[in-house]
Amino acid sequence: MKLLSNKTLLVLLILVSGYGYIISCTHDNSFPPPAATTGTKYTPGTGVFLPGNLTAGNANEWKMDKAHSSCLWQTNYIGAAGLLTGRFNQFGMHEVLTSEMTLYPAPGQPLKDTSWAFYENDDSKTFFNGYVQINTSNTGEPGRDTGCNIGNLGTVKISNYPGQYNLQVGNLAKIKSTNIAFDPTTGDYIATFILTWQGKLTSPLAKTLTGRLKYIKRATIAGTAPYDVFGLQLSFQFNCRDFGVTSTSVGDKIEIECNMNFNNK
Amino acid sequence: MAFFAGYPLIYTIVFFITGKKADSKGSFANRLVKLLPYAYALSATLFLGLIIRNIYPDYSLKNISEQFQNSYLRIFGLLAILFWIPALHRKPILSLLHSLVFFFFLLKDIILHITSSTSHEVIINDMKIYTDSLLLNSATLAFMVFIYTISGILVNKK
Repeated sequence: MKLLSNKTLLVLLILVSGYGYIISCTHDNSFPPPAATTGTKYTPGTGVFLPGNLTAGNANEWKMDKAHSSCLWQTNYIGAAGLLTGRFNQFGMHEVLTSEMTLYPAPGQPLKDTSWAFYENDDSKTFFNGYVQINTSNTGEPGRDTGCNIGNLGTVKISNYPGQYNLQVGNLAKIKSTNIAFDPTTGDYIATFILTWQGKLTSPLAKTLTGRLKYIKRATIAGTAPYDVFGLQLSFQFNCRDFGVTSTSVGDKIEIECNMNFNNK
Repeated sequence: MAFFAGYPLIYTIVFFITGKKADSKGSFANRLVKLLPYAYALSATLFLGLIIRNIYPDYSLKNISEQFQNSYLRIFGLLAILFWIPALHRKPILSLLHSLVFFFFLLKDIILHITSSTSHEVIINDMKIYTDSLLLNSATLAFMVFIYTISGILVNKK
């Protein structure tokens, strides 16, 4: 290759790479959701909730009650009409590492729901991880759930792996908290976390989002064998176009609500 | 993109550093230039290894086809393994042209960002992958230089 044209290409490559690095090193401002009220000042309690080893009968270990939890989504149908809603049938609270992104036999939770901790008054110790299996999206319309939804979300049908849970990278969306901050104006927590999802892209995209984490206070369920419960609700929204979703059947904005119930049975 | 997008910059830097010394046969600069396609082929071999690892343990046709979701691009990437063939490696420019296809995707995202139709996070993600590619291609070139040097020493000893 002639030296002169090589220098031109080198300058061009350095300019493009340099510009890319400059853009990627800048950060957008992130703003917390607006406060619901500006009057009352809330103070957090002293509750500490940890999963431990999920030992049955250990009242100090809190187990995610998947049967009574949910992970819901909604968006405007064709971006302008009423809401299109659905839920993910399979989800969990585990930090799915790359080595764990594989197939697991059904039924039962594929991975232990232990990647979380909640301290009412110690934000630095509170954290959560979660994941959903994208192809378990359930809108109540089997034709959509096994048809266009699969292609539009960049995943594969459940029937491709009968009797197995698919936690491979193409079917996995996960969140990992990076910061939790108590909001004294609402009594809830502002959660900053990373959503990682491949969608229709060639590789997973990690996007930082902000959401509201609500703590539903611990309560005792009376009975012959009383036990305690508490809940965590995470609400956030993201732009599905960032993840390569091009379908016009859904709006740009997808709203997510994760309702996790825990007990200490 | 993680395997091939960083190669053009490594290629042009090597040519810039070696300059006209690359034309003198037997010199280190000439050998470095000749090793570029081998380093590129090594990156492609590692890419093939990743695909095989992802397929394991299910080697059914269905699973293999799912690994090739962007089939044309992945097959084009695997073609870089052909640079192990001496007839192809004698033309280093071909390896540059092959890798520029992958660099184009980074360029496309940056241009789309300038026109404000793509989000900031896409560029951040792209640059992370590009950095990994630069490191990988630097490492494969260094490895090929190392292997070539060691084999030269062993041949001289004999």
